[in-house]
Amino acid sequence: MKASSAKYLVGQGFKGIWKNKMMTFASFCILLVSLLMVGISCLTAISLTRVIGGIEDQSEIVVIVKDGASDSDMAALEEKLHSIPNVNTVSLYTKEEAWQNMLKGMTEEEKDFFQYADDNPLPDTYKLTVKDIQIMNDTTTQIETFDFVESTQSPTAFADILINIRRIFSIVAFAVVLALVVVSLIIISNTTRASVFARRKEINIMKYVGATNSFIRIPFFIEGMIVGVAAAGCALLLTKFAYEGVYNIFNDTFGIWSILGMQNLYSFDDLLLPVSVSYLVAGALIGAVGTSISTGKHLRV
Amino acid sequence: MVEFKDVSVTYSSSGVDALNNVNLKINDGDFAFVVGPSGAGKSTLIKLVLKEIDATSGTVLVNGFNLKKLRRGKIPALRRTIGVVFQDFRLIPTMTVYENVAFVLRVIDAPAKYIRSRVPYVISLVGLSKKAKCYPTELSGGEQQRVALARALVNDPKLIIADEPTGNIDPELSYEIVELLKGINECGTTILMVTHEHDLVRYFGGRIININKGSIAFDEVIGGSNESK
Ligand SMILES: Nc1ncnc2c1ncn2[C@@H]1O[C@H](COP(=O)(O)OP(=O)(O)OP(=O)(O)O)[C@@H](O)[C@H]1O
Ligand SMILES: [Mg+2]
Repeated sequence: MKASSAKYLVGQGFKGIWKNKMMTFASFCILLVSLLMVGISCLTAISLTRVIGGIEDQSEIVVIVKDGASDSDMAALEEKLHSIPNVNTVSLYTKEEAWQNMLKGMTEEEKDFFQYADDNPLPDTYKLTVKDIQIMNDTTTQIETFDFVESTQSPTAFADILINIRRIFSIVAFAVVLALVVVSLIIISNTTRASVFARRKEINIMKYVGATNSFIRIPFFIEGMIVGVAAAGCALLLTKFAYEGVYNIFNDTFGIWSILGMQNLYSFDDLLLPVSVSYLVAGALIGAVGTSISTGKHLRV
Repeated sequence: MVEFKDVSVTYSSSGVDALNNVNLKINDGDFAFVVGPSGAGKSTLIKLVLKEIDATSGTVLVNGFNLKKLRRGKIPALRRTIGVVFQDFRLIPTMTVYENVAFVLRVIDAPAKYIRSRVPYVISLVGLSKKAKCYPTELSGGEQQRVALARALVNDPKLIIADEPTGNIDPELSYEIVELLKGINECGTTILMVTHEHDLVRYFGGRIININKGSIAFDEVIGGSNESK
């Protein structure tokens, strides 16, 4: 194709937008909303995963060993713990270490009081980290059946809540995203239909003088892409404001949030590249596919 | 060159047999009038040549293309060898005369430089150089049809087909249009013109193809009254 033709086709694409201002605007809006919803859903999912990941790293199962276990009993237990597939790391926290640590945290008076206690009342413990927090419950149940295990402690309740939130959120987000993509495609293909209808005489003549279908389609295609890219640009800006607003809430007011692992959130700058690329690709793609759906049918002359 | 061999057309939607076993040959450089009563099948013939419809049976050859074997994707190649003029002009109202003509060359991806020299030339051929910047609504019916003619001419087709090109304009101006077509024909372009106006046919003479109820009733060359003057 010649440069002059390319220029002509792009020009026609822009003209189409202007001729169908209202419908183009409708397409733009629905695409903007769709991209925003999709984007925010994805960012929330990413953040949730990140937070849960942080909790996974931190959350330990504490295995309390029965008093009176011998060194060889301990070694056997440690081996068994290692052999559980979901167990990531195993570290021994001896009663001496626990004692020393406890003393460190005490005031002088308390230390004086305990210094002469002849027996260390604390148990030996193992601290385990897990690979998958979702099956932590099963893991602890298994450990409790081992010999010389007094009891276990684990933050399973909290993990369960987070995991449930993530699961429900994923389902809802997926449904919303799917619905919006379908709606956008329908609206955009209708816009194009109106645009094609407005120019049907022109298209009819183009067919008679031997224009190829692709030549006739390109301006509509470009029209759709421009709308898609414009919507992506706006969506990116809005997402940035929204995300940073939320991010600042979690980061400025530490306290409660840091317990939940919220300080681990990505900053928007970390996400800028993937988010903008996905928006542009999704916007242009939905715009282009939406226009193709309706131009195909109208070109059979 | 246009050739029909045993061509029949039945419209499946209405069940009408629009053409029955038509055999016809129009050689390069010919000028032929196609006449006949309404509903005879004249427009059907034109649609076949443009491959807007396909023959139900028989073979249609146009400018070296066998239309039965022509794939959809090759239809533009066929149509680039044909110029079309319609009764209702079919100009684009939002484009000037110049743009209406230049548009044809743009859609077939012609070089910009060629467009700049070819379009004014063709517009001058139909005598509208002074109106090149006007919009179709600012022109008379005869002038609009001349623009349509310029548009049909601009990519230098081998064949021009005109379906009642004088149907919507004053009878006096009809002669002007046919004169223009005759002039184009003298430069070597084949012309196939459908008309209802018997006066026009009698005046110019030439090859007359009369279609009646889907069959060729009459296909002969007659002398025109203008030549006897
Ligand atoms: N698209 C169509 N679908 C069904 N039947 C059609 C169609 N087009 C034409 N016909 C029928 O085919 C027959 C021939 O029509 P055609 O248009 O070729 O006539 P014509 O000779 O051009 O008439 P006119 O002089 O009125 O333009 C008519 O009976 C018409 O009703
Ligand atoms: Mg007709």
